[in-house]
Amino acid sequence: MSILETRNVTKRFGGLSAVDNVTLQIPEGSIYAIIGPNGAGKTTLYNCITGFYPADEGDMLFNGKSLMGLSPDRITRLGISRTYQNIRLFPAMTALENILVGAHPQLKSNYVDAILHTPRQRAEEKKALEDAQDLLNFVGLKGKGDLLARGLPYGEQRRLEMARALANKPKIILLDEPTAGMNPNESVTMMRFIESLRDELKITILLIEHDMKVVMGISEFIYVLDFGQLIAKGTPGEIQKNPQVVESYLGRGAADQHKQPSKRI
Amino acid sequence: MKDLIKQGLRLGSIFGVVIIFLILFGLTSTLSDILGEFVNLESSTRTGNPGGLIIFFAILSLWAGSKATASDRSNWKPALVSGVSVSLIIALLISGFILLVGFLDSLDVAMRDYLAQLDHLSIQFLLYGRDLTTGVLLTFGIFFFFGILGALLAYWYEAKQAGEVIQKQVLVLKEKVLDSKLAKQYKENPRSKWIGYGLLGLVVFITPQFLGKYWNYAMGTVGIYVLMGLGLNIVVGLAGLLDLGYVAFFAIGAYTAGLLTAPAPLPLQIGFWPVLFFSIVMAAFAGILLGIPVLRMRGDYLAIVTLGFGEIIRVLIRSDMLSPYLGGPQGIRDIAGPSLFGVSFSGKAYLYLIILAILLIILFTNYLQNSKVGRAWMAMREDETVAQAMGINTLYYKLMAFATGAAFAGLGGALFAARNQYTGPADHTLMVSINVLSLLIVGGMGSIPGVIVGAFVLKGLPEILRELDLYRLLVFGGLLVLMMIIRPEGIWPAPRRRMELHEGELDVLPPEENLVGKEG
Repeated sequence: MSILETRNVTKRFGGLSAVDNVTLQIPEGSIYAIIGPNGAGKTTLYNCITGFYPADEGDMLFNGKSLMGLSPDRITRLGISRTYQNIRLFPAMTALENILVGAHPQLKSNYVDAILHTPRQRAEEKKALEDAQDLLNFVGLKGKGDLLARGLPYGEQRRLEMARALANKPKIILLDEPTAGMNPNESVTMMRFIESLRDELKITILLIEHDMKVVMGISEFIYVLDFGQLIAKGTPGEIQKNPQVVESYLGRGAADQHKQPSKRI
Repeated sequence: MKDLIKQGLRLGSIFGVVIIFLILFGLTSTLSDILGEFVNLESSTRTGNPGGLIIFFAILSLWAGSKATASDRSNWKPALVSGVSVSLIIALLISGFILLVGFLDSLDVAMRDYLAQLDHLSIQFLLYGRDLTTGVLLTFGIFFFFGILGALLAYWYEAKQAGEVIQKQVLVLKEKVLDSKLAKQYKENPRSKWIGYGLLGLVVFITPQFLGKYWNYAMGTVGIYVLMGLGLNIVVGLAGLLDLGYVAFFAIGAYTAGLLTAPAPLPLQIGFWPVLFFSIVMAAFAGILLGIPVLRMRGDYLAIVTLGFGEIIRVLIRSDMLSPYLGGPQGIRDIAGPSLFGVSFSGKAYLYLIILAILLIILFTNYLQNSKVGRAWMAMREDETVAQAMGINTLYYKLMAFATGAAFAGLGGALFAARNQYTGPADHTLMVSINVLSLLIVGGMGSIPGVIVGAFVLKGLPEILRELDLYRLLVFGGLLVLMMIIRPEGIWPAPRRRMELHEGELDVLPPEENLVGKEG
């Protein structure tokens, strides 16, 4: 059964359809990828799923429940986490605090508990701190919990953002170019890491990625977007052989790989 | 050599012009009075004893002289040259100015009509009560002599490396103290933190016993500003919502307490304690009411709307139409104070009540800051969009920030009204909002000790320097500008904020200050 499903989702900005009639089905426990040239509407689709842009048409289902009309925080609380193409940590908070903010939906204590410092709040806080520490270690940032997020090197910021997304204990995580700006070695490490999320934490993965090596290496199924429309879908093998994709995207994509990551939008 | 003289002349003329301005403002006589009192000369503009003025001028010229040598203190010659050039030009300017006003005064020109400070008495004071020639020569002499003295002292200080020597000795002393057995015991004992708090608490609780009636009152005012500062600190410092109409909640607290306990305009006269609670609730409720329409606003828009809200409340409580219910411009009189076991509160007891309220609020603020609520506020301040993507209901947390800040201000307002037994529109002007925001900036945004220090600096100092009251706004402005240049993070900043403003110098939060590192 699909954990996440979009049905004919359309999002228009003025006359332009940034996402046009897109239907996806992501089965539980899988690693799926969305590829497409710059401006194809991939991130816009993410923004629709996470509730930041209300979709104009269509429907989105999470575990069979519609996400339409829900606010972003509600959607996150259902168990959908995401990361951002351009890392968006809370720069003036420490690494550990960033993760704890990510764990916000997991904490059940309320305002009154907080202001009165009730035993229940204290116990929960202690547990949350331990969990956050574990996550920090899991992404390889052991001992860096007290550093400000913006003081971390680029690669560590990416991993911290991932840890923050995981703190929500998501059922599915939407990754937006997780290997952007990484060298081939780092990309491979990130690939292994993403696979371990699925294998060890049983989290379904949907990723947007430009690096074809990563996409072909880890995804089980690929959707190809161009000008907001779904132009192809299939296994990596099928996509590589699809003439339309090869023509319109892979050729350009291969060339893109040699460009500076900062040039990608 | 030529450069030195040029530099000296430039600095000297700046100093000279500034001192002339100080005289024209009348700040000179005020400061001389204070100095005179300080050394018990009973010198003042009124008594005509010029001791304070001489000390004031001497200090100014010493300062100017020492500044003059800043560029080159390697040798006594350049120091002397720049010292002479600076003090010469200052002495010429000031004595020339005094000669001019003294001469005009002797011709009975009524300068007072144009410059309020230049009446006959003040000019006589500037001439030290002597005749024109003696006065002018004395002024020249003071500035010239002390200017050069200042330059030579600065040179000597540098040459002997007195600064470093003193610093070294202080360091050695510090090491000794820190290495001593007692200090080690203190540091290693986990309970020592409580000893520190206990001592502090003891001082806080004993002090009001030794303060006179006036000082108890003044400290009470400072305390109420601390309460408001702590509240605004949550709204602005933690949640990052710039609220310029904060006085509205103070007013609502004060008026709720006033209306429910005073005999007029509403004959309710409920007791103080339930009303105190009710004032807090009303203020918090007003905070939510204000919050709802501005939920989706950010930054400048929010600031303008809150500013308007503050003014609306002030206009409402002033209005004639509502005066049968709210008291109008006359305000509310005979507000009942609290009483405990039949004893009604006096000056000292009020101060204790305020201190108790502050302690309670500090405790609550601390708990909130180190909880998921505090983190949600901070996350919203950093990046509201992402905060929402983290599952934080930003609308709810914004409302809670407004309500919490408003509740603290309401508490402050109720205590304020009960203590003064009066409250009126004049207590709730825009200036209050600005004062509270300024004390946050001066003390250090987001820092609890910063709020306390800021309240003392902004509300306490003017009480101490009461004579300077006229110049308070001037000093405020100057202080704020200076703060922003020299120490943008405030006097006692939160470590996190210091890191933000001094990037790269320190990127690790000390463990005891870390929000999450605290063991509850």
